[in-house]
Parts: sequence; C-alpha cells; structure tokens
Amino acid sequence: MSDQSGKHDDLVHPAARPFLWLDAKWLKSSMLWVLLVLAVGFAAIDLFHHRHEYVHLAETTGFYALWGFGSFVLAVMVGWFVIRGLLGREEDYWDGEGDQ
Amino acid sequence: MIEAFYDISPAWPVILGGLLAAAIPNHHVRKGLALLAPILAGFLWFNVPAGVHTGGLIELGGFVLETFRYDGLSRIWGLIFIIAAFINALYGLHEKDRVADAAGLIYAGAGLGAVFSGDLLSLFFFWELTAISSVFLIWGSRTRAAYKAGLRYLAIHVLSGVMLLAGAVVHAADTGSWAFDDSLSTETLGGMLIFLAFGIKCAFPFLHNWLQDAYPKATVTGAVVLSAFTTKLAVYALARGYAGTEILIWIGAIMTAFPVFFAVVENDLRKVLSYSLNNQLGFMVVGVGVGTELAINGAAAHAFVHIIYKALLFMSMGAVLYRVGTVKASELGGLFKTMPATAIFCIIGAASISAFPLFSGFVAKAMTLAAVAHEHHYVVWFILLFASAGVLEHSGIKIPYFAFFAHDKGHRVREAPVNMLMAMGIAALMCIYLGWPDMFGIPGGYRALYNLTPFPEVANEYPMWTFDHVVGQMQLLLAALFAFAFLVRMKWYPDEKRSVNIDFDWIYRRAADGVARWGHAMFGRLWASIGNVLGATRGRMGGRLFEAFSPMGALSRDIPSGLLAIWTSALLAIVLLIAYMAP
Repeated sequence: MSDQSGKHDDLVHPAARPFLWLDAKWLKSSMLWVLLVLAVGFAAIDLFHHRHEYVHLAETTGFYALWGFGSFVLAVMVGWFVIRGLLGREEDYWDGEGDQ
Repeated sequence: MIEAFYDISPAWPVILGGLLAAAIPNHHVRKGLALLAPILAGFLWFNVPAGVHTGGLIELGGFVLETFRYDGLSRIWGLIFIIAAFINALYGLHEKDRVADAAGLIYAGAGLGAVFSGDLLSLFFFWELTAISSVFLIWGSRTRAAYKAGLRYLAIHVLSGVMLLAGAVVHAADTGSWAFDDSLSTETLGGMLIFLAFGIKCAFPFLHNWLQDAYPKATVTGAVVLSAFTTKLAVYALARGYAGTEILIWIGAIMTAFPVFFAVVENDLRKVLSYSLNNQLGFMVVGVGVGTELAINGAAAHAFVHIIYKALLFMSMGAVLYRVGTVKASELGGLFKTMPATAIFCIIGAASISAFPLFSGFVAKAMTLAAVAHEHHYVVWFILLFASAGVLEHSGIKIPYFAFFAHDKGHRVREAPVNMLMAMGIAALMCIYLGWPDMFGIPGGYRALYNLTPFPEVANEYPMWTFDHVVGQMQLLLAALFAFAFLVRMKWYPDEKRSVNIDFDWIYRRAADGVARWGHAMFGRLWASIGNVLGATRGRMGGRLFEAFSPMGALSRDIPSGLLAIWTSALLAIVLLIAYMAP
C-alpha cells in the first residue's frame, strides 16, 4: 500500500528512495527563501558589474529580475482572473458536441 | 559519398517504409522498418555533397517537379526531421497498431518531402500528405472526442492545402514560375493565399485552435509525432518564402504572448504543452519576420532544439498518460516516487524550453532576441522577454511540478517502458549536448548546432556564452521561480481544477455551429411554410379552375343567348368609342 511520505511504501521506485526528501514539508517551506536569496544574489551582481545589453533599459540594475518577477505575476493573474474567470467552463462543456 | 544516391530525397525511404508498414501484419517487422527508414534517410542526408544541390527531378504532365533541393535552410530542417522520426519510432516501439505505424512514417516522410521540395506543386503534394497521414494519429485514440477533433483537424489542414494550391496557381499565372523561393510576397493575391495557407499550419493567432484541439486527443505516441513536424514545416515554409516580411514580427510576438495566459489555468497537461508549442512557434515566426541572417539562424536553431525538447516533454507526459491513464494536473502529483527517470527527463526538457544556461533553449532563443534588438524592435523584444518568463511558468514549472511533485495523489505505477526511456534519454542528452559551452579548449555542443544553421559563419560570430548573458538570463529565471514560490505560499496561485477554458474555436464549434443549426431549422420551417402556402394556393386555384371549367363549372353552364347579345353589343360599343376617340 502507498503512504504519503513513501518511506514505507514498497511500490516506490528504488532509484527514487534517496530523493524522498523532495516531498518533505521543510523543503517546500524553505524553497521560497532559497529562491529569494538566489534571485536577489544574481540581481545584486549588477551592483558590482555593468552588463552590456543591446537594449539600454536592460542595463538597469536588476532589470531582468524585476521583469521576470513582474511577467510571471502578470501571466498568473491574467490567466486566473481573465481566462479562467471569463472563459472557464465545466469539464463536460464540449461533451455531446455535434450530437444533436 | 555514393553518387548514385545524390538525387534521392531522404523523404522517399521514410514514405516507402510507411507504405510497406501498412501492408505488413507482423509487428516486429513493422517496428524494424520504423527504425530503419529514418536511418536510411539519414544516410541519404549525409551522402549529399556540401553546398547547394538540386536533384530528384520528376517530369509529370508538362511540369518538372523538384523533389530534392538541399541547401542551408533545408539541411537543418531535414536533419532534425530525420532525428525526430527515429526517436518517435523508438518511443512507439511497444505500440501494436499497424495504422499508426504506417501513418507515423508516411507523415514524417511527407514532412521531409515538403522540406526538400523546390517547387510549389511538390510542396502542395507533400503538404496535403502530411495532413491526410497525420489525422490517423489523432483517430488512433479511438474515442468519440478524438474522432471529431480529427475531422476538424483534417478539414482545416485540407483547407490550408487548397489555399496553397490556389495561391500557387495564381502566383504561377502572374510570374510564370512555380518555384518555391523568396519570390513569394504578401502583396499579391497568390502570395497572400500561400501566406495564409502557411499561417494555418503555423497556428497563427485565430487560426491556432486546431493545435490545442487535436494534439491532446492524439495517442500517446501520436502527440509526440505530431509535435515535431506540422508546425515546424510551416515555419520552414515561411522562412523559405517570406523571410523579412514585417507583419510576421507582430504575428509572432502575439503568438508568444497569448498562449501563456491560457496555459496557466489549463488542467490537461498535454494541452498546456500545445499552448506552449504555440508560444515557441511565436519566437521562430518573429525570427523569420526580422529576416536578417542572425534572425534566420535563430529561427532555424530554435526549431531544431525545440523539436527535441518539445518531443521530450510530450514523451514524458505520454509516459504518464500510458501508466496513470490521465494527464490532468488535478489528478496527478508525486509521480517522481515511481517514475524517477521520466521525472528527470521531464525536468531536462523543462530546463531546455525555459532556456536555462547549459541547456539547448538558451543557445537558440538568444539569437532571435539579439536579432530583434539589433533591428530596434524594442516593443517586440519586451514582449518576447515576457513570453520567456511565461514559458518558465507553464512548461518549466507547471508540467514537472504538478505531474511529479506537488501533492502526492498516491499513484503507484511502474516506470515507463524501456523503449520510452531510451527515446527520452536520447532527447535529454541532445538537450544537454546542444547547450554545452566551449570548455577547456574543447568546442561546445552548441557549435554543432551553430554549424548546422543556414549562415554558420554569422552564428559562430555571435557571442553566446558571455557573463552578461548568463547573469541576465539567470536573473529572469530565478526571479520568475521566486514569483511562483511566493504566489503559492500566499495562496495566490490558481488551484488545478477540473475545467476547460473556451478559446477562439468556440466561434466555429459553438457559435457558427449554433448558427448553422438555427439556419437549418429555420430553413426547414420556411420550406414547410412555403409548401403550405403553395399547397393552399394550388388548392384555391384548382378550386377556382374546377368551378370554371369542370362539367359543373360556370363555363359549362347554358348561358341565355339574350345575355350574350348584350355583352357582345357592349364590347362593340367600347371598340367603336375607342376608334372614334383615337387621334
């Protein structure tokens, strides 16, 4: 039988056993901070190094980080509120199409 | 080099293999053919001498068909189609479906034939062959939804072929040439018809829904096969005929952006990949629209690596579908525990499509972005940058996260079959190799890709692996990853729920269908009403005539001679009066 952690689950693949920590709660909760440190760290490189870009605005400190964060949030919000909000339908919406 | 084979297009052994597969009932022989045919095609590809080569001329009804044009553009597309055909055959080795085996080979061969076509008639033949053969990969699912989607797919693609033929005829009448080259223009009727035919196959905005409609309903292997050829053939055709056509820059930019929003909230992960495919095509179309040597290199390199990593992602989702029976995000999670190899391959595909440094997408997409900035299309450049973050969202994070991690749904299935793992392994290795930088004086794998592009000298001059480029890309990707973690933590990320999102196909699947049904019903009623009126009129007329002429009618009655004399006198008086008054 399966269990959520997989530690006592005979059906878990042997190659996956050393990686069951990927499902741990501590990892999920700490991932936010790990990514924050990494993102800020790479953005901070711009403080010490001037990037040369084809588009001058992109030479602004942390430009790509800001654009990446903003774009991601915009994509999710528009998808959620506009696409799902306006165009979302029940799963069986197309069932029986053309059968009448 | 064997000179006798110089004129044989690599398409023929693959098409012939498909025709033979249709006739061979033995599963093992068919699978052997499916693997052997791309190898033979590869031999023919390698056998051609370097440079530009024209061959395979066939005289037919006064036309000379040019079936094998080998040059810088067809070279790279031909090779990736051959590689894709081989990987697809390996991936589908376990499937025992004669129709799918034959269709897959003929479809791949038709794609190759179209790429190597030197004239519009040959292109039309192979163009239609791709449509007709590939629909069996959708119908192979043997569900009612797949059957209907296949019909829609076939109708749209046959329409594309008809427009191509019509455009070719008009173009030939105008110019006297059937050549498939850069003489095509959107400023002529023929050129515009051909452009639209290519646009349908390329899934331009508002012409794109066949893709998200059909691919997710195809068979496990069928979706992988479909992802490789049709749309990339269209990009090739645009690059061949319409490079530098400015409208393509904006069409491509829109294509990169709008699928991102749909992919965010799509529950079917193969449909997410279909939207993602649309988004990736946008980058290539922008490159073709910019039309400089760097931009064409970008589009070609992008098509090459895209076919591999998109196939890898479709293969990983196909493996999940094969084992679990669904690819609905709301039903999946935690599969890395039982399908670890598939999970790793999927992550490699996701990293490649997201353009992480050291993966193939990084070295291809950068050229297009650079070319766009070089030509001062700054608004488009910002849109492409937005789309790059969007790609990370739907293909880089959503696909691997919701299938293999997220909430463990308790599916304890077996790892994918060995042949699937081998196919995914080859694709994953290529994703890494083609993104590998120069190291310790050893040329990186990306050099092999750059040497394959139509303008290798331009590609090799492009400063790919610079500190600035790596830092900028990592900033973008890590900040986007942080945004995902942040939104999930704040519970501002939409749940995966069982739902569908209507798209532009609602216009013809619901609105137009409704109008057609209403029109049919109204016509039926109108016809019935007309019938009633006609019947009533006929009845009344018949009654009147009966009353007049029947044996009992008015004209059959005996009329007194006195009355007749009065009427005759009256008529005579009228005639005399008119004669008297006449001038």
